[in-house]
Amino acid sequence: MADQAAPRRGPRTLVVGLGNPVLGDDGVGWRVADEVEGRLHAAREAGRRIPDVEVERLGVGGLRLMECLTGYEAAILVDAAEFPGRPSGEVRSCSFEALADHAAGHLDSAHDASLRTALALGRRLGADLPARIDTVTIQAHRTDEFSEELSPAVLAAVPAAAAAVLELLGTEAR
Amino acid sequence: MERITIDPVTRLEGHGKIEIFLDPDGEVANAYFQIPELRGFERFCVGRPVEEMPTLTNRICGVCPEAHHMAAAKAADAVYHVDPPRPAKLLRELLYSAFFFTDHTTHFYALGGPDFVVGPDAPAAERNILGVIGKVGMEVGGKVIEARKRGHDVIEMIGGRKIHPASAVPGGMTQGITEEQRAEIEKFGRWAIEFGQFSLGIFDQIVLGNAAYKEMVLSDGYTHRTYYMGMVDPNNKVNFYDGQVSIMSPDGQRVGTYAPAEYRDWIAEHVEPWTYLKFPYLKKVGWKGFVDGVDSGVYCATPLSRLNTADGMATPLAQAAYERFYDTLAPKPESGGKRLVHHRLATHWARLVELLYAAERVVELATDPEITSSNVRTVPTEKPTEGVGTVEAPRGTLTHHYWTDENGILTAVNLIVGTTNNYAPMAMSIKKAAQSLIHKGTVVHQGLLNRVEMAFRLYDPCFGCATHSLPGEMPLQVAIRNSDGEVIEILSQNC
Repeated sequence: MADQAAPRRGPRTLVVGLGNPVLGDDGVGWRVADEVEGRLHAAREAGRRIPDVEVERLGVGGLRLMECLTGYEAAILVDAAEFPGRPSGEVRSCSFEALADHAAGHLDSAHDASLRTALALGRRLGADLPARIDTVTIQAHRTDEFSEELSPAVLAAVPAAAAAVLELLGTEAR
Repeated sequence: MERITIDPVTRLEGHGKIEIFLDPDGEVANAYFQIPELRGFERFCVGRPVEEMPTLTNRICGVCPEAHHMAAAKAADAVYHVDPPRPAKLLRELLYSAFFFTDHTTHFYALGGPDFVVGPDAPAAERNILGVIGKVGMEVGGKVIEARKRGHDVIEMIGGRKIHPASAVPGGMTQGITEEQRAEIEKFGRWAIEFGQFSLGIFDQIVLGNAAYKEMVLSDGYTHRTYYMGMVDPNNKVNFYDGQVSIMSPDGQRVGTYAPAEYRDWIAEHVEPWTYLKFPYLKKVGWKGFVDGVDSGVYCATPLSRLNTADGMATPLAQAAYERFYDTLAPKPESGGKRLVHHRLATHWARLVELLYAAERVVELATDPEITSSNVRTVPTEKPTEGVGTVEAPRGTLTHHYWTDENGILTAVNLIVGTTNNYAPMAMSIKKAAQSLIHKGTVVHQGLLNRVEMAFRLYDPCFGCATHSLPGEMPLQVAIRNSDGEVIEILSQNC
């Protein structure tokens, strides 16, 4: 029987689609989150094994994002990225620590602490933060004009990005 | 100075990119800065129903969605010619006060404060909230996280959603609050007042208690005598949610107050060839360039401006803090009669006075007998036309202006966002900071980027007004050009 005093924990892994859904390719993280959710649902309906996962869509960075990650054992951040000289729609997957030295979208904010600083703060304060944070990034083409449309190469990359998330989840849903 | 023309096709672009032009003697002639501007929002909105705007516009920005949500709801009220019932206005202001408390807390502890607490010359990697904790103690970090969590819980309680509130609609609110929620919010407010006093205490101890920092705050390098803008209530006290916009001259005279709908009689926009940004200025004074003084229409809209344009704060503890602020920094009135603080670094202190006001206002609103009323909406019945909604965003006066057809479908949209008001003052502050560190062509490298960053950080600028932000800590690049326009040095951090 479970320890009654233990805090109730939610799902073990949080998948976060990051971005602004009305800012062109900046919204790709949300689209990937939709796709991941759809595939997990389909897999569940088909009776396949589904990991203990929650899917969120957020438009925040830094401290706010760190606060949203508390209580999960693992997290996967899906975001538009602007790596210099990379082709639009390129999907890359790596740990947050490895990414932190490179270019990425919302993981930092001019208006907040960076996520790296925020995570360090949270850990120093004893927050229940994920032991592992992975990222899946999609190289954006256009993020400076309001639109609900993704550019073609970025739209075409959504299934591959969703597959990368599911691979990180280790699920049969992919 | 040799004239340098920058082809509009190659206008400056980039995140936090600053260009400093020297004259033939090697002194700073001009400093330009550029921030990315997002395009196409008006085009994106036209054709949509106006009632979508409160939830759509809060997607413009991941930093202050609450401000856009409120300005949009107020503009939509005006479009439908509907006056929300009093309980709805109380609830909106309650949500908004919790938001101000949370946002100002983040700025002071994570962004502005580190410059002082850790020190203006500390490496950029240490000027963050971790550095603050290292200096002031671990418990401060815990308090900041608690302040944010409790503030966000209240915003969610009233706003109906965790991050982007959705409850303000044309004519009022979609929902009220229960007595249990009210009690919880009151408890938060009382805790927040203590936190506000604690934060002012830290400022006292770290900044005012340090002669070198106090000297820096009062130094000419961080002083500008411009006009000020801020919203006031009927008693000319600071108000974030509603009121008239007050304009104060640099010599302490109230030039006037206007209803938000009259903003176009007061504000015009100046265009420069080197940037896509437009620089708002006071129409009645006129554009005279990036200069201080009563003849220059440049105005500033920040926490410092709000204190300068008002006659005081509407709550007792914040009023006491307001008086102490002026007693310390501006003991004598200007020739026009009002005491003004022109020291831009004092904006950090003004922000804490506002933080305390926001906390006190939470308690006032949460203990209003009507706050739990279920009368939270007047359903619009009039034909929609045109409307303006203004609130004070943490970083300046925010105005939304909508035009619709008779079915409430948007035909035009105009926004003046908080940071936009401060484009000209920010450019002036950057130039002055650069002037203090570059003489006869010799660049004082140590501290240049920090000082320049401090000059615009105090404005709490929201770059791009979007959730999108570039990698790393905030990138900053300063290019220094000689009088022939050639780049002689590039300094950068986090690029």
